[in-house]
Amino acid sequence: MRVEYINPFVESAYNVLKEVLNGDVKRGELFLKSTAMPVLGVAAIVGLAGDVEGRVVFDMTRETAVNIASAMLEAMEMEPITTLNDMGRATINELANMITGQAVTKLHDLGFKFDLTPPAILTGDNMELSDSGVEALIVPMEVPQGKIEINVAIRERA
Amino acid sequence: MKWNKESDVKQPSAERRGSAGLGSALAEYRGFGMGFGRESERAEEIENIDFKMVTFSLAGKDYGIDIMKVKEIAKFGRFTYVPNTRPFVTGVYNLRGEIISIIDLRLLFNLPVEPRDQDEPQDGLILRLENNLIGVVVDRIDRVVGISSESIQPPHPIFADINISYISGVVEHEERLYIILDAERIFTKDNRATDPQQRSDRGGERAAVGEGLAAQPGSDVEYRKQPTAERADSAAGQSPGGLESGDSDAGSTEVRDASATREAAAGDDSEFGFVVDGLATFGKLQYSAVNRDWLKQRYVQWATERRSAGKQAQLAGEQDADEFMLPFFSPCTARLWEQTYAEAVRAVLPDFDAAIVNAWNPGCGKGYESYSLAALLTEAYQGKRVKVFAGDNDLLRISTAPSLVLSPEEIPAYLQPYCAETRNGIGFSDRLKNSILFEYHDVLHESDVPETHVVLCRDLISLLPSDEQERLLTKIYEALVHGGILITGKNERLAHDGRWEVVGPEVSAYRKV
Repeated sequence: MRVEYINPFVESAYNVLKEVLNGDVKRGELFLKSTAMPVLGVAAIVGLAGDVEGRVVFDMTRETAVNIASAMLEAMEMEPITTLNDMGRATINELANMITGQAVTKLHDLGFKFDLTPPAILTGDNMELSDSGVEALIVPMEVPQGKIEINVAIRERA
Repeated sequence: MKWNKESDVKQPSAERRGSAGLGSALAEYRGFGMGFGRESERAEEIENIDFKMVTFSLAGKDYGIDIMKVKEIAKFGRFTYVPNTRPFVTGVYNLRGEIISIIDLRLLFNLPVEPRDQDEPQDGLILRLENNLIGVVVDRIDRVVGISSESIQPPHPIFADINISYISGVVEHEERLYIILDAERIFTKDNRATDPQQRSDRGGERAAVGEGLAAQPGSDVEYRKQPTAERADSAAGQSPGGLESGDSDAGSTEVRDASATREAAAGDDSEFGFVVDGLATFGKLQYSAVNRDWLKQRYVQWATERRSAGKQAQLAGEQDADEFMLPFFSPCTARLWEQTYAEAVRAVLPDFDAAIVNAWNPGCGKGYESYSLAALLTEAYQGKRVKVFAGDNDLLRISTAPSLVLSPEEIPAYLQPYCAETRNGIGFSDRLKNSILFEYHDVLHESDVPETHVVLCRDLISLLPSDEQERLLTKIYEALVHGGILITGKNERLAHDGRWEVVGPEVSAYRKV
């Protein structure tokens, strides 16, 4: 993945998580992955198009998703949730949108033109994620509510 | 693992951690400080768990095997005894219709076996090796442990109760020390030796360097292949890897055995094998046809120097390995190419018909060489569009590449027109920068490589595991256009296998035939 793309994603993930969750955010070590990898249970996917093609996946356990959605809802003085209902999914969608949106804005400033697709949420057990012919950059983030793995795979359009 | 060729003079593990970014660097730092145990553990938790192993115990000690090698965990009962085999071959077993042979790891490693009821099923693992399955009996299966492969430490010769070449590393997890066994080395023959075509390509020497029992006569590889065959030599035959030696000398005997098999490779000195192993252990170089000529010549020189200094030729540590490797690296590694080298490279560049000239530079590090190459190509192919794809798996280095800052005195004349004043000092002009695409990329991963005219891959191939070396060469070959040029390290040689044709005496370069 092009080097210039890395930082915008890492920074916006850090900033947005810190802002919406109002807690300690830690970033794990970045690494590359090219093989199929398990999805923890809840995956929000945002597609990228434009100069490049690719997608960003936000991967977390169901429990983490509920915790994060609750924390975000409470911050807006709304009822927290106990199971991953429509409200919870919409909240996670919004988080994915915020992070990707901010990253794309930063990339725009650097001169790269990206468009976003609306986020989609996948839930289920024993899911796997694989890309062919493109490496994924893994950005592990740890927040008080649990772990989120941000999986970015971007390819230059030939 | 890290395949960055710029790691030549520094400790690779430290480098790797360096690239990890703030989070883990901090964790590392705290780890050293002690007393911050919990803190560092927490930081490590979010580190990358990328290696899982099935752990088990043998004679009270903990061992692990890479989970990717384990097909399943099984309870073995009712083996079919096979007469006249080595003692560690427990028998054959019917695994849902497939007959697999069963090895008792305790007997193989010469460890005591607790007496147990004959009919009681025993814990075991079914390992999936290169082409077949093999069952191993252990004392007790423990569990699956996930660790970060960076925390694995290389084996130390002190673990002599199991032949060191069977151990791929040691790792501590939750205050237990696990010895990670290398299943392939224990049970598999070096597959390079079994492929007749490759064998003829590379000569027998390479095969002989293969680790483990494989290279030794009467090895268990044969048992694996024909578990039921009669084996008259088993009683009198030579014991593979000191299997039957029960005395305390076992470890050193094994090591001597192993080196003896490599004697053929060195021609005159059994210590050659140790040096080859040492280089691989310290992550400096993997012995292969690509670097064989250099390695042999360097070894002779090294041994002479060391003996005259009253030292052993063996590499006693990382420092020795670095010293050994010093002459290996190509001119102008990890810096801008000097005028003379640039001119030599320019001389091997052929004319291409295409309107776009692509170059690929895996293992580009901080990008000094990619810039040099891009400038040369721009110069050589005026009127054509030049694009250099440069990649490295060291995040820290590659991150600095797009905005490299130069000191005026290090800029050779041919690069002068491509330099410009930037915010942080003198850097490359946007024109040159725009012709290079720096990517965070691992050459070992599957990825699309665009059609390429020039590949710059100096001193990288030799650092990869030997099977990956061949894979990368094939990848390069396939990516190159007909007549495309591969520039390798000055001490790297490609086999004369009809794929490559040597060009230019001053730069080690090959043309795709």
